[in-house]
Order: sequence, then C-alpha cells, then structure tokens
Amino acid sequence: MTKSVLILAGLFLPLFPLSMLFNILFTRLRNPVLRSVLLLAWPQIGIAIVLGNSHAIPHWLVVWAVLSSLLYALRALALRDVGLWIGFISTSAWSLLWILADTGAGSEQLKLYALGISIPLVLMSILAAGLERRFGAAYLGLYGGLAKSLPRFSGVLVVVVLAVIATPLFPGFFSMLSMIMKSIPTMPTVAVAVAIVWLLWSWAGAKLLQGLIVGPGEQAATDISRAGVWFFVIILVALVIAGMYWLGAVV
Amino acid sequence: MDQLIAFVPALPIVSAVLTQLFSAQLKRRVAWLSVTATALTFVLTVVVFGMELFGYGSHQFGDLRGWGILLSDPLSAIMSVLIAGISLVVHVYSIRYMAEESGYGRFFVLLDLMTATLLVLVAAGDLITLMVAWHAIGVLLYFLLGHDTRRQSTFRYAFWTFITYRLGDVALILAAAVLFHAYGTWSLTEIFARIQSHPHVISFMGIPATEAAAIFLALAAFARSAQFFLHIWLPYTMDGPTPVSALMHAGIVNAGGFLVNRFAPVFVQAGDVLHWLFIVGLVTAITGSVLMLTQNDIKKSLGYSTMGQMGFMIMECGVGAFSLAVFHLIAHGLFKGTLFLSAGGVIGQARQDDGIPKDDLYTFVVEKRPARRRPPWLLMAAITLAVPILVLGLTHWLVSREIFQQQGAIILLFFGWVTGAQLIFATYRIRTQRIARLFFLVLSSFTVVVIGYTLISHAFNLFLYPDEAFRALIYKASNINVVWFDVLIALTALVIVVGWLGTYYGERNGRKRGRQSGRAWISLYALISREFYLADIYAWLSRVILRSAERLNVWFRWV
Repeated sequence: MTKSVLILAGLFLPLFPLSMLFNILFTRLRNPVLRSVLLLAWPQIGIAIVLGNSHAIPHWLVVWAVLSSLLYALRALALRDVGLWIGFISTSAWSLLWILADTGAGSEQLKLYALGISIPLVLMSILAAGLERRFGAAYLGLYGGLAKSLPRFSGVLVVVVLAVIATPLFPGFFSMLSMIMKSIPTMPTVAVAVAIVWLLWSWAGAKLLQGLIVGPGEQAATDISRAGVWFFVIILVALVIAGMYWLGAVV
Repeated sequence: MDQLIAFVPALPIVSAVLTQLFSAQLKRRVAWLSVTATALTFVLTVVVFGMELFGYGSHQFGDLRGWGILLSDPLSAIMSVLIAGISLVVHVYSIRYMAEESGYGRFFVLLDLMTATLLVLVAAGDLITLMVAWHAIGVLLYFLLGHDTRRQSTFRYAFWTFITYRLGDVALILAAAVLFHAYGTWSLTEIFARIQSHPHVISFMGIPATEAAAIFLALAAFARSAQFFLHIWLPYTMDGPTPVSALMHAGIVNAGGFLVNRFAPVFVQAGDVLHWLFIVGLVTAITGSVLMLTQNDIKKSLGYSTMGQMGFMIMECGVGAFSLAVFHLIAHGLFKGTLFLSAGGVIGQARQDDGIPKDDLYTFVVEKRPARRRPPWLLMAAITLAVPILVLGLTHWLVSREIFQQQGAIILLFFGWVTGAQLIFATYRIRTQRIARLFFLVLSSFTVVVIGYTLISHAFNLFLYPDEAFRALIYKASNINVVWFDVLIALTALVIVVGWLGTYYGERNGRKRGRQSGRAWISLYALISREFYLADIYAWLSRVILRSAERLNVWFRWV
C-alpha cells in the first residue's frame, strides 16, 4: 500500500488523526441532506480505495484502526452535542471496517456492512435536525423529558439509537458479530477490542437517551406526525429484514 | 409439534404488535389483549412440556441460513413453562398495579416482548439466536426498569443493569466465536455432537476450545446472575415497577443457571472452570446472605437474598449438580416472585394492623413463657449435629444410593446439614416449655422438605439428563483429587462440629465481648452495611472514565 493510498484510505475509512477531517466536515455541514449524503458516501469511497489496492493490508494498520475506533467510542461518552455524537460513532464504526477488509470480506459484503452501519446514522442525523428545528439545538441535558413532551418522536429516537449501537437484529449487530468472528482465530486481542468498542457504544447510546428522553418534559413542541413515524418504521423494519437476509447469512 | 415450538414465542410478539397498535383506541382495556395472549402462551408451553414429558422426543424448528433455530428439549420445555407462568402472573398483577401510571400500553408491549425474548432464549437452538435473545433481554430490561421516564434515578440504576448485562453479552459473544471457530457450525446440537466425538482435539490459544468457551460462558453467567463483583445492579433496581422486579428476580436473573445447563456438554470438558463456578458461587452465596441481613429496606433485602440464591445456584453447577440448579432456579423464581408481588401489600397491611392472630400458635411462638430448665447443651448439640445428617443421609440413600459416590452431592449434603442444624438451634433458642412438641413439629417439617427436595431433584435429574452416562460425566467433571477431597471434607466436618459445640456452649454460658472486639464488630457491620463500598468504587471508576473522555475531547478540540 503506497503512502498516498494509505492516507486516502485512512481518511475515508477513518484512522486517527486523519479521522479529524471527517468530523470537522460533518460538524460544519448543518444541512441534514448533505449530512446524510456524507454519511452514506464517505465509507463507500474508503472501501473503493481499499479494494482498488492489490496489496495486503499490514497488520499494524488493523491495530491502528481498532485503536482509532476505541478512541472515538470512548470520546463519545463525554459528548452532549448530538451532531458530534453521530460523527464520533460513525468514525468509530467505519474504522472497524478495516478488520473485515483484512480478513478477506468480498467487495459486496463490505459495501453492505458499511451501508448497514451508515443508514441508522442517517436516520439519527434526520432526528437531530428535527431536534434543532424544535428546540434550536440538539443537545443532551438541555431540555430532556422528550418521552413526555414528544412521545412519538422519542419512541422513534430510541429505536434509531438502538440501531446505531448495533442492537440485534439491526445490521450493525451482524457487522460487529462478523468482525469478532473473523478476527478471533488470528487476532484474538482485536476481537476483544471490538467487543469493548461495542460496549462503549452501548454506554454512549444509553447516555444519549438519558439526556434526551428522561425528565419532566415541560417544553411544548410539536410531535412527529404519524406518517413520519411510519416512514421511520418502514425503514427500520426494512433494515432488520435486509440485515437478517444479507448480513445474517455471511456472519 | 415443530410448529408449536414457533407459536410459543410468536404469540407474545403478535400480542406486543397488537397492543401497540390498539393502545390508543382501547386505552386501559388493551391490557386484556396482552393478558389473553400470555395465558394462551402459557397453555401452549404446558402442552409442549407435556409432550416432552410423555416422550414425544426433542424437536427443532426453523433454519434461517444456518441460524434462527428453535429447539424443544426437556430443558427448554420446563423453562418455557416457568417463564410463561411467571409472566402471566406478572401480567395479571400489572393490570391494576400499573393503572395509574403513564405509558400503560407501552408497559404491556415491553412485557410481551420480554416474554417472547425469554422464550426464544430458552428455546434457542443455535449460537446466533441465543446471542440475539441474550442481548435483547438486557435492552428490554433497561426500558422496563426505566418505565418512569420522569425520574433520572430510575434510569441511572437501569443503566447499571444494562451495562452489566452488556458485559455478559460480550462474554457470550466471545464464547460463541470460540465455539464457531472450533467446530464450524452455529447449531448447538451439532456443536455438542462434535464435542462428544472430539472433546479436546481443537485448541484455542493453546488451551482446549471447550475450556476457553467455558470460561467465557461462565463470565456471561456471572454477569447475568449477579455473582460477586457483578452484583451491584441487582439490589439497586428497586426503583423500577414492582412487577418488573418480580419478573427480573423470578425469571431473568436465573439465566446464568440456564446457560450452564444449556452448555452442559461444554462444561463437562472443563472441570477447572466448574471449580471456579463453585468458588464464585460460594463467595456470592455468603456475601449475598450477609448483605441481606444488614438491610432495613425490604425490597433491597429481597434483592440481596436473590444474590445469595443465585450464588447457591451457580455453586450447585460448580459441583456438577446441574439439574438441581434448574430445580433451584424454578423454586426460587416462584417464591421470590410471590414475595415481590406481595411486598407492597404486606407493608400496607402492616401499617394498619400487625396481622398476627392471637391464637394458640401465636401464644406458642411469640408469647412464650421461657422454660425454667433447659435441656443439657451438650445433648442438644449432639442432636443438632446428628439428626439432620441422619435425615439427609437416609433420604438420599432411599432415593438414589449412588449419590454418595459423587463428590458434588456430598458437598451439597453438608449445606443441608448446616441448614438443618441451624433450624434445630433456632428451636433450642426459643426456650419453650414444650420443647418436645416444638422439636417434633420442626423435625417433621424438615423431613418433609428434605424428602420432597430429594425426590423432586432426582426426578429433575432423570428428566433433564436421561442419559445415565452423561449424568455421571457431569459429576465426574467437577471432581477433585480424592485425597484432597477427603481431607477437605474432614476439615469442614470438624469446623462444623466444633462450631456448633462452641455456639451451644456460648448460648448456655453467655458471651462476653471485649471493647476491642466490640469495635471490630461495629467496623465490620459498617463495612457490610455500606455493601463493601463496591457501588462507590464503580461510581468512581465510571467518573474517571468519563473525565478521561472529556479531557481527550478537549485535547483534540472536539473533532
């Protein structure tokens, strides 16, 4: 792998400190559509670069990727801005794709794994935009109590956060499972590190929910429409089915 | 039969969906939808159990690209009846208990989903299905415990449960990864068959794969069943609704014992891990019981009682009494569920009236007139030591004589011995005038309990593990060197005999405690009443992690 390819790949399948560029870009973009495009396209470009390179991925690069993932998962614990939270979790999740690339996952599989990780993040960024529209900011602990004030919105938020933190049966679950399964024979420490990353995501997800949905909920705001709920439900159900069908088979 | 297996968890899932869809229209009546579905599920589980009992054989259903398999075998059948039964009681109880709470429909949806997930867990026929259910239980429990979304404290304690359960999830995933890597299949039946034919052939990082998997499985069981160091979440989850506490203590927390039984073919190849199960279980049983005695909050006390019972259950697994652990978890589930559901009522009634009838029994037990003369302490000590061992020995000899060949069974007999002795000592301390009558009553109760326990546990053993050779293999796996075992048994017996003699002597002649030892007792009491400061240590650790994360963010300018 040449230096320029490595830098490019490390930018799109984020390796620290190259990962900072994505996060700067993501926080600067406020438009949810642009954010969604970025979330969907960024890892796909990285995968294309990695797959276009015929050389084997060196072992140290996988270790670096896992350490980057650990770093961002840990840092996500202390975040209160939902936008940053999405950026950090994306960075943490996409870095792990190096493991799958290293263990010989096919091109289609890798793209599906990346998509399975990105789509819940896109949904999350749409919800974050919804919060900004209603309260002026998507920020933990600022208002809280969404379960009371916006019951439908918080219901959707809970399920989307669960999808982001790779809860079964969402695609992220199968991606994480696949990473652990594939790395345990040759790199057991990497498998354990991936498991710790997963644990940190759960912690970060629980903190996010606690900061948003729990509380007396005294702010008046318009809840999401029933059609809006159905939009999210359909996508989430499709994600579960697709995850079980495609990713569940290749674990 | 195959379809029936799928219907069992499918019914509560359908109920959850319908409850969610109709909760706005039906309001409070929506609960009946959920209750009806749970009642039907219970009936189905009884039918499946009956078929299993009358020898229709084990079946499996479904195969979604190598996973998604549901299994019906004696273990899953009996566990399903327990889960559906307790869930039904909790559902019925919740109809009125939750009536004043907001999110009434959501509560029943979550309860249905939890029932379905638990049923999938016990029937899982492959590693992926097992992991999915295992993981999902933690998530659902988090939301059930945090049902009251107005209070931060509820969610804080729910989070403790969630994160401990996630630790267990991680351990289970690593166990599954080791097993899949070693045996190349997700199917539990196939994995167990391959283990039987090649027990130690495949190694993982230099140790047999079965042993590595058993270590991870044990860790998963420890996290789920609140073993020492991973127990703090259990007594602190009392902020959740009482029906959830009942479900958790009666069903969910028992999953550790289930897991060990489900992976019995793995554990029989990992004798050393079984010894660790015994040690961790023993420490948990003792710690849980000691902590329970220092609590003045009835629900917290019940929480620590559960911890002690879970310790005992894991310890039973550690000595190879796998089926006894299943019997224990069922018995514990039923009595602890009852205690939780009636705790509130008891407190309420006690505020109105002490509820003690002034009849003959009351006079006999409470308003006793101390006897002027007490039986000789040495005689009573001898009876205390001899009678329980006689009852236990005779009962076990009548039911199953080969039990005395098993080290594990002998260890458990020691626990029975100490329990029986404690019972007789309590009788002696009452100092009643009619000691013979009281003694007769106590002894009769003890004998009935021992006979019942022995017969039922023997029946459980035959039902869960019909293969005699495998039963012997389980006990054999937990054995230690015979000489060491004999020495340890002799030492333990000596400690018990001397201990009881000392206790009777002290009771008769009065105990004098010096100022120094008094202070030591108070310090010990303070340490125990603060729960060994473990909750404080964990809280400090999480603060350190969060502060480090924050510092890193500042260093890297939040990008």
